Amino acid sequence: MHPALQGLITIIVGVGGCVGYYYLSNQFLDKVLFPARGANAGRNINRANMIRPWLFLAPALFALGLYLAYPVVETLRLSLTDRDAGGAFVGGANYAQMFAEPKFWEAMRNNMLWLIIVPAMSTAFGLLAAQLTDRLAWGNIAKSLIFMPMAISFVGAAVIWKLVYDTRPIEQDQIGILNAILLSLGAEEPRTWLTIPFWNNFFLMAVLIWIQTGFAMVILSAALRGIPEETVEAAIVDGANPFQIFFRIKIPQIAGTIVVVWTTITIVVLKVFDIVFAMTNGQWETQVLANYMYDKLFRANDWGVGSAAAMIIMLLVTPILVWNVYNARKEMK
Amino acid sequence: MFPTPIQRTSAPSRIGYQVFLPVAMIIWLLPLIAIFMTSVRGLKDINSGNIFGWPTEFKLIENYIAVFEASPALMYLMNSFYITIPTVIVAVSLACLAGYGLSIYRFRLALPLFFLFVAGNFVPFQILMVPVRDFSVRTGLYDTIQGQVLFHAAFQTGFCTLFMRNFIKALPQELIEAARVEGVSELKIFWYVVIPLMRPAIAALAVLIFTFVWNDFFWATVLTQGETAKPITAGVRALNGQFVANWHLVSAASLLAAVPPVAMFFLMQRHFIAGLTLGAVK
Repeated sequence: MHPALQGLITIIVGVGGCVGYYYLSNQFLDKVLFPARGANAGRNINRANMIRPWLFLAPALFALGLYLAYPVVETLRLSLTDRDAGGAFVGGANYAQMFAEPKFWEAMRNNMLWLIIVPAMSTAFGLLAAQLTDRLAWGNIAKSLIFMPMAISFVGAAVIWKLVYDTRPIEQDQIGILNAILLSLGAEEPRTWLTIPFWNNFFLMAVLIWIQTGFAMVILSAALRGIPEETVEAAIVDGANPFQIFFRIKIPQIAGTIVVVWTTITIVVLKVFDIVFAMTNGQWETQVLANYMYDKLFRANDWGVGSAAAMIIMLLVTPILVWNVYNARKEMK
Repeated sequence: MFPTPIQRTSAPSRIGYQVFLPVAMIIWLLPLIAIFMTSVRGLKDINSGNIFGWPTEFKLIENYIAVFEASPALMYLMNSFYITIPTVIVAVSLACLAGYGLSIYRFRLALPLFFLFVAGNFVPFQILMVPVRDFSVRTGLYDTIQGQVLFHAAFQTGFCTLFMRNFIKALPQELIEAARVEGVSELKIFWYVVIPLMRPAIAALAVLIFTFVWNDFFWATVLTQGETAKPITAGVRALNGQFVANWHLVSAASLLAAVPPVAMFFLMQRHFIAGLTLGAVK
């Protein structure tokens, strides 16, 4: 069958399924199960209204359960068993094995570096860009351009940045931007940027910062616009200079948004995989947890340790998750 | 008036802006400019190290045709569309239903369920990898387009529902109550009252999910094996290996992969940004 036809059928089945399910289940509830007539009409309407929200929620809950709740439990189970031994329970053996590997600690260290630097730099650049473009006639065009990398996939960005860091043997002409600039500034020989231990982590982070700055800028620029003008005017009247206005008046008023941006980017960073996978594949001391896990699962075929690594990522995300649920709760009250 | 237009400020800061900003912009976009310039060059230019200068020959069309002829790029691209478009439609329609159920009705479990969706939003996708792959293999959905659609739709539904719930919650509830008092059935309230009000949210969410799913790479590598079901993101990586030293082809291919989401972004910029703001701040 032609794939276009398959796509069309998927859409029809999906949407038709949604509409049909929704219509028929509501009809069934109102007309068959608890009809709003006869002796119990009033009670039936109440009953039907108690059940109705579940009709709306059921498909989403089913999808969430199948693809979210079940896998989390299953991964926990896998991390405690040995697949080669027929799924026997081995307790913490996988974790012990993982903690004994230097590669794991390298990944942990790098993840921590990513976790500190990428959100901080993206938010700072985003804030700077939001503030600088705020007063420009062509500010919106500038914003669109800064934001554009956000629409590009991580893999695409990784390939683009590979061109930036590209290195050729010394006797050939360089095509990597960074090396070309370096040589034109008078350096003797090109560098292989991605193999310089420790610092290569920062070259990889640059890619994610490049992507996420646009996101931070858009959100923060909306927040900056939302600041009441009176507060800024009052500061000007009192003789505050632009830096004081920015740091003492504006920043405190958008602190909440900065925290949201920061945590959102933190979540992205914790899961970062594509960039490392496509650029260095964790070689030359650039391993991160997500790629370590992928390595264990698909190259070493060690499901226990791979799942254990996934649980570590989950553990790192949990504080942010709890904090967000807590905040959502506070908002309700 | 505040902010003061830059034209009315002092001369040094004006010059600072006029010089510094465009320079910063060019540095920011340098990787993109470079990859575009590389994609229109011929092999001769690249090998002679002419990367900043004007191309000696323009090979825009030749290079892009070469990508399509030398690789299954067209198939990858079409696969991406077959995966992304149904996912967007299914996830957004499911989310409309669930968001409505979660925000309009008062029932005991509404709050815990809402927290479940918030929490589900933060679960790292790595933790799902093994079970989801196993499940796909067992049900024969591994290495198919349908399998990817199903998974993406289910995975995105959590975020979409949250998004829709917050949006509907902010709508004037009197409208819905008035309709109820008039005796309009729940079915008709949803279709004639709520859905029209949700249009901006639907547009924003659709644009957002389109880029998310289009740009996904992780699940594309986890859920596919052969060539036939690969989307363009996974394809770009495969082409990267195939074209090794031919940077003009690699550049053309990776730009090709970025065209739909970037075009979408520029066409629907307002919705895209509205979606990000709504999704992040709430």
